Amino acid sequence: MRRRNTIGLAAFSGITALVLAACGGSSGSPSPGPSSAGFNAAITSTVNPSTHKGGTITFNLTTWEDSMDPGGTYYAANWNFTRYYATPLMTYNSCQGSCGLHLIPALATAPGTPSSNNTVWTYHIKSGMKFSDGQPITSADVKYAVMRTFAKEVLPGGPVYFQNLLAGNAATYKGPYKDKGKDLTSVTTPNSTTVVFHLNKPFADFNYVVAIPQTAPVPKNKDTGASYQLHPVSSGPYMVQSATLNKTFVLVPNPNWNPAMDPAVHQYASKIILNINPNANDIDNRLIAGDIQMDMAGTGVQSAARAKIVTNPTLKASSDDPVTGFMWFIYQDTQVPPLTNVHCRMAIEYAANKTTLQDAYGGPYQGSIATTAMPPNIIGYKHFDLYNAGSHPGGDTAAAKQQLSLCGKPNGFSIGMAYRSDRPRDTSAAQALQAALAPVGIKVSLHGFPSGTYFTNFAGVPKYMTTHGIGLATGGWGPDWPDAYGWGWALFDGKAIVPAGNTNIGALNDPVVNNLFLKLEAATSASAQATISGQIDMQLMKDAVIVPAVYAKALLYRSSDLTNVMVQPIFGMYNYGTLVTK
Amino acid sequence: MGTFIVRRLIASVFLLVVVAAITFAIFFLLPRLAGQTTYSLATQYVGRNPTRSAVLQIEQQLGLNKPLYVQYGHFLKGIVAGEHYTAGPNTVYCPPPCFGYSFKSQLPVWPQMASAIPVTLSLAIGAAVIWLVSGVSIGVLSALKRGSVFDRAAMSVALAGVSLPIFFTGLILLELFVYKWNLLPAPTFVPFFQNPWQWAVNLILPWISLAFLYAALYARLTRAGMLETMNEDYIRTARAKGLPERTVITKHGLRAALTPIVTIFGMDLGLLLGGAIITEFTFGLHGLGLFTIEAIQNQDLPEILGVTLLAAFFIVIANMVVDILYAYIDPRVRH
Amino acid sequence: MVGGDGADAPRAAGKGGRGFARLRARDRGSQGLESAPRGAGTAESAPSGLLDIRDLRIHFPTDDGLVKAVDGVSFTLDRGRTLGIVGESGSGKSVTSLGILGLYNTSNARMSGKIYLGGEDIVAASQARVRELRGSKMAMIFQDPLSSLHPYYTVGNQIAEAYLIHNKVSKKAARAHAADLLNRVGIPQAATRVDDYPHQFSGGMRQRAMIAMALSCDPELLIADEPTTALDVTVQAQILDLISDLQQEYGSAVIMITHDLGVVAELADDILVMYAGRMAEYGSSEDVFVHPGHPYTWGLLGSMPRLDRTRMERLLSIRGTPPSLINVPAGCPFHPRCDYASRTNGRSEKEVPALRPVSPGHLVACHLSTDEQRRIWAERDAVAS
Repeated sequence: MRRRNTIGLAAFSGITALVLAACGGSSGSPSPGPSSAGFNAAITSTVNPSTHKGGTITFNLTTWEDSMDPGGTYYAANWNFTRYYATPLMTYNSCQGSCGLHLIPALATAPGTPSSNNTVWTYHIKSGMKFSDGQPITSADVKYAVMRTFAKEVLPGGPVYFQNLLAGNAATYKGPYKDKGKDLTSVTTPNSTTVVFHLNKPFADFNYVVAIPQTAPVPKNKDTGASYQLHPVSSGPYMVQSATLNKTFVLVPNPNWNPAMDPAVHQYASKIILNINPNANDIDNRLIAGDIQMDMAGTGVQSAARAKIVTNPTLKASSDDPVTGFMWFIYQDTQVPPLTNVHCRMAIEYAANKTTLQDAYGGPYQGSIATTAMPPNIIGYKHFDLYNAGSHPGGDTAAAKQQLSLCGKPNGFSIGMAYRSDRPRDTSAAQALQAALAPVGIKVSLHGFPSGTYFTNFAGVPKYMTTHGIGLATGGWGPDWPDAYGWGWALFDGKAIVPAGNTNIGALNDPVVNNLFLKLEAATSASAQATISGQIDMQLMKDAVIVPAVYAKALLYRSSDLTNVMVQPIFGMYNYGTLVTK
Repeated sequence: MGTFIVRRLIASVFLLVVVAAITFAIFFLLPRLAGQTTYSLATQYVGRNPTRSAVLQIEQQLGLNKPLYVQYGHFLKGIVAGEHYTAGPNTVYCPPPCFGYSFKSQLPVWPQMASAIPVTLSLAIGAAVIWLVSGVSIGVLSALKRGSVFDRAAMSVALAGVSLPIFFTGLILLELFVYKWNLLPAPTFVPFFQNPWQWAVNLILPWISLAFLYAALYARLTRAGMLETMNEDYIRTARAKGLPERTVITKHGLRAALTPIVTIFGMDLGLLLGGAIITEFTFGLHGLGLFTIEAIQNQDLPEILGVTLLAAFFIVIANMVVDILYAYIDPRVRH
Repeated sequence: MVGGDGADAPRAAGKGGRGFARLRARDRGSQGLESAPRGAGTAESAPSGLLDIRDLRIHFPTDDGLVKAVDGVSFTLDRGRTLGIVGESGSGKSVTSLGILGLYNTSNARMSGKIYLGGEDIVAASQARVRELRGSKMAMIFQDPLSSLHPYYTVGNQIAEAYLIHNKVSKKAARAHAADLLNRVGIPQAATRVDDYPHQFSGGMRQRAMIAMALSCDPELLIADEPTTALDVTVQAQILDLISDLQQEYGSAVIMITHDLGVVAELADDILVMYAGRMAEYGSSEDVFVHPGHPYTWGLLGSMPRLDRTRMERLLSIRGTPPSLINVPAGCPFHPRCDYASRTNGRSEKEVPALRPVSPGHLVACHLSTDEQRRIWAERDAVAS
C-alpha cells in the first residue's frame, strides 16, 4: 500500500498553521465523547464498543485518491474504505495488535488450498451470496474481477501481483476490453463456487494477494470500465447511492448483504458520506468541532491541529498515535564506492543522529526511532539495535570512527546523497544526516530531485547513482502485506533490481538474503514465516543496506460522535468497517 | 454594432485556439526541460512497481506517445466534432464540444467542469454584487467627505483589505464564525434551486472574504474617480442649473466616474469566473478554481486544457461585454 | 447701476465723439437711483433693480493664506440691460458671478455683503431657496461648452433637465421645449439634433446649445462667463448677436464677463473694470471707452488692436503680472504696474484709493485727480491716432 502525504499546498498550510496555532490553545474545545477513553486507547482496545444502529458518518478527504474502484486502488485508506462495498476472497481481521495482522476468510469459505508446490491455489466461495442488485455472486464474478485488473489502460492504479504471478496466458492477456471475448487461462472456475489460480512460480503468500480488494467480485454485465468506480455493484454491507467524481461518495445499506459474507465489517450506520475537501487544515477543524467524523486519509492531522491536540489534555485524551506500518529510512547503495565496503556503511549507521532524523520526519508524534529494517507491524518483528541507537540516539562517533578505520577511510570520505526536493521532510532528513556525518569526516553532498521522477530517472536508476557517486538516498515504504516478503522483497531481493524505476536502491544482492526470501516464499506455517522474517531483518541490518530513521506514526483524532473505534494495524489507522455512531 | 460583434467573435475563437496551443506547449515542453518524459508522466497514473508494459499501455491510452501536433489536432477536433472514447467494455461518443477525458480518472472532463460552474458563478457573482455596492458607495462617500474622519478611516480599512490575503481573511472568518462562536455552519455548497436560504448562508463567509479585497480596491478607485469627476466643468454646470446636490452627485458625477470602474469590474468578474482559486480552496467549494488545482496537481492535461479554455472564454466574453457596455455608457466612443 | 445723486438724464442715442465704430448706444429709460456711496454709518437703502450687489466679498482660506478673490464689489443691474465685467485672469470676475449664483455656499469660502435678486437677499437666503433660483431666475453660460456639457447625456436631455427641475411638466413636454429652444438659438434641424451628444456639435453650435440650456427657464438674470473665448472669431460675432437678440426678446439682464474689450464694446450698457478683486472703474460703456479714468483701463484699451487707428509698431501692453490675491499690494493694488503711480506723492503705496465719481454715474478708484486723468488720457489717445 502506498501512503501519500498531501504536500500540495504546503505554503497555505504553513502560514495558516502559524495563524491557527496562535489562535488555538484552549479556545473552543469541543466536549469529548461519552467517556474520553484516553490517549492511544484505540490502539490496544476498542473504544466504547457498541452496536447502535443508525446515524450518519461523514468522512472528509483532501483529494479523490487513486480510484474508488476496488480493482484499481493502491492506497491504504482506500483498501480500508472499499471494505464497505467490496468483499475480497480473504481479508484482515478487525482486531488490534498482531490479531489484526492475520487473515480471515471473507468471500471465501476458508484460506486457499495450495497444491504441493504452492503453484496452484484453490478457493471456495460462500454460496447463496448476492450482489446489491440481487444477482447471485459466483466464482465467475471473482474471475472477472481479476481479469479486468489486466486492463491497465483503464485501471492503472492497482497492484500488479496478478500480472506477475499468474501462469497461462497472463503474460500476454490485455484485459477484457482490449481482448474482448478472450479467456484468462490462468484462472479457472470448475463450478459456480470454486475459483482456481495457476501461478507461474511457487508463492506461499498467495492468501495475502487475494486479500487485496482486486478479488472482490464484479458482475461482467454491469462493468463500465473507467466509470465503474462511480456506481460499483456492491458485495459489501453498503452500496453506492450516489457519487460525483472529486466531490462526494454516498453509501447506504445494501439490502442484499449477508453478514456471513465478511465477519470483519458491519452494517450499523444508516448512511456513510465521503466529501472531498482539499483544505487539510479545514478538515482537522471540522473534525475537532464535530462537523465531520473521520478524515479518510488516516495519515494524521496537520501540524497546526497536532500542536493544538498535544497541548490540550482534553483533546489529547481523544486521540491516538499508532504506528502506521510505513517506515522512513535512507538507502545505502552498495555499488557506490566506498559504500561497497560494509564497514563504511556501518560507520554511517553509527554516526547517524536518530534524534535529528526523527525531528526531520515530524517529531515524536509522527514517528518513533527505528532500529530495524522492518517496521513493528510485520509478522515476525523483533526489536534489536545493532548500532546503539538506544544508548546513543545522537550518534555514536567513537564506534563510527572505529568502523571508518576498518574500511580503510580513517579520515572519512565524500559521498553524494539523493533526496526528494519537493518534500520538506526528505529535505530536512537529508540535511540532518549531512550534519550528523560531518563530525566524523564524512562529507555529504546533497542532490535534490523532484519526486515525480525520483524513482524513474534518478535514485531508481542504478547506473545514474554509480555514475554520479550518489551512495545515499532518502526513501519510505509501506508493505502490501505484513510479512517480510510483502515488506521487503521489492526493496532487498537481488532479483528486484531493475534498470529504471528500481526500488532495491541499495542494489543489494546478498545471497544470504536472497535465499531467505526463497525459503520464505516456500514456507507454509505461520511460525516458520515469522522466524524467517526475523532472520531476514537481522541480515539486512548486518548488511547495513538502509539507515532506519523512524517507524511512521500518525496522530489521529477520535471523533466524539463515533463509538466502537479501534486502530487496525494493517492499515495503521482507524478501522472503517466497524464504526458505529453514538 | 453587428459587424463589431461578429469580428470580435471570430477574433476570440482564434485567440482561444492560440491559448490551447500555448497550454499544450507549456504542459509538454517545460517539463521536458527538467528531464521529464511522457513515460515518466504516465507512471504518475499507475500504481507502485508498475510493469513497463502497464506504463506503455497507459501512455497509449492517454495518447501521450503521439507527436504533440497530433495530440493538439485531436483535441481541437474533439471540440468541434466530438470524439469516441473507449475506457471500458463499450465505446462512448462524447458530443461536441468535447474537452476530452481526464488522464487520471478517464472520465469526461466537461461534466466535471459543468458541475463546477454554478459554484464559481455563485461565489463570483455574489461577491461581485457585495463588493460593487459596498466599494462604490464607500468610495463615493469618502470622496464627498474628503479629509474627514470617515474618509481617513475608510481608506485605512481599504488599505488593510487590499493588503490582507484572501486565505488569511477567510481563515480568520472560519475560525471565529464557524469554530469558535458557532454562528455559521462549516461551508458546503447548496445549489440555489435546492434551498436559496442555505445557499446564501453557506456562501456568506466566502463572499465576504473575496469581496473584502475587491471592495477595498473599488472604494479607492471610486474615490479617486469621484474626486476627479467632481472637479469637472459639467458638474459646475449641473449645479448652476439648480439641480439638487444628490442629482449632481449621482446622475452627473457618479455616472462619469463609474466608467473606468465598469471596465475594471468586467475584467475582474471575467477573471473570477474562471475560478476563484484561493477562496474555493480555503472554504472547500468545488468550483472551477478547485478543479484547476486538482488538474494541475494531477498533471491532468485534458482537465488543464478544459479549464484554461473555459477561463479564457469567460475573459474574452467579459472583455467583449465591457467594450460594448463602454460604447453604451460613453457616447463619445461610438462616433 | 451705481450712480451719482439725482436722476440720470436719458442718454442720447447714436454714436458720438471719439468712440469705436462699432459702439452702439441704446435707448435707456430712467433708472432707479442709489443713494450716496457706501460707507460706515450710511443707512441701508432698499434694493434697487433686478440685481443689487453691495460690498460683496468672497475670501477663501487656504493653506497658503487667505485668498481675497473678491474684495468689495458693488453694482446694480436692471432687466434689459447688459453689464460687462472686464479684467485679467485672477481679477475676480468669474468668482463674482459664481458667488452671485450661490455656488460657493457649500464650500469653505467666506462670503459677506449683500446680493439682492429681485429684492431678495440671496446671501442670507437658505441653500434650498438659492437652488430654486439657480437655473430658473438666474442662469449662467460657461466658457468652454465642450467641458461644460456632460458628455454622456444628449443636449436635449441636459436642456430638458434644467427645465424639469424648475417646472412640473412631462418629460415629453420638456423635450419639446428643448427642441424649441435649440431652434430659437439658431441650430438647424433642431428636432433631430436634440438627441445628439455634445461632441457631435461644432464649437459654435455647442455654445448655442449652452445658451439654450441657460434660457430654458426664462431667467431674469443671465451671466455669460467668457462665452466666446473658446470660439473662432467669426463664430464669436454670431454668438454675441444671439445673446443680444435673446436679451431683447426675453428682456433679461445680462452680465457679460470677459477679458476682451471688443466683446463688451458690442453689447454692454455698463462696464465694470475689476482688478485684484476690487473695482477699478465703473460706468456706462461710453464713459469707460471714451473717457476712461483708471490707468489699468488705459492699459487695456491701449493694448487693443484697432481698425480705426493707424497701425502702431507695437501693441502697448501693461507691464508686470497680475498680483497675488493673498498678498495684494498695499495701497492701490495696481500701483506696481502703474506708469503714473509716481504722480501721487506716494499715496499709491500707502492709501487704498476710494471709488469716487469722476462724472455722474462714472466711478474710478484712483489717486490721480479727475483733471489729471483726463489730461493723461487725452495724451495717450492722441498719440495713438
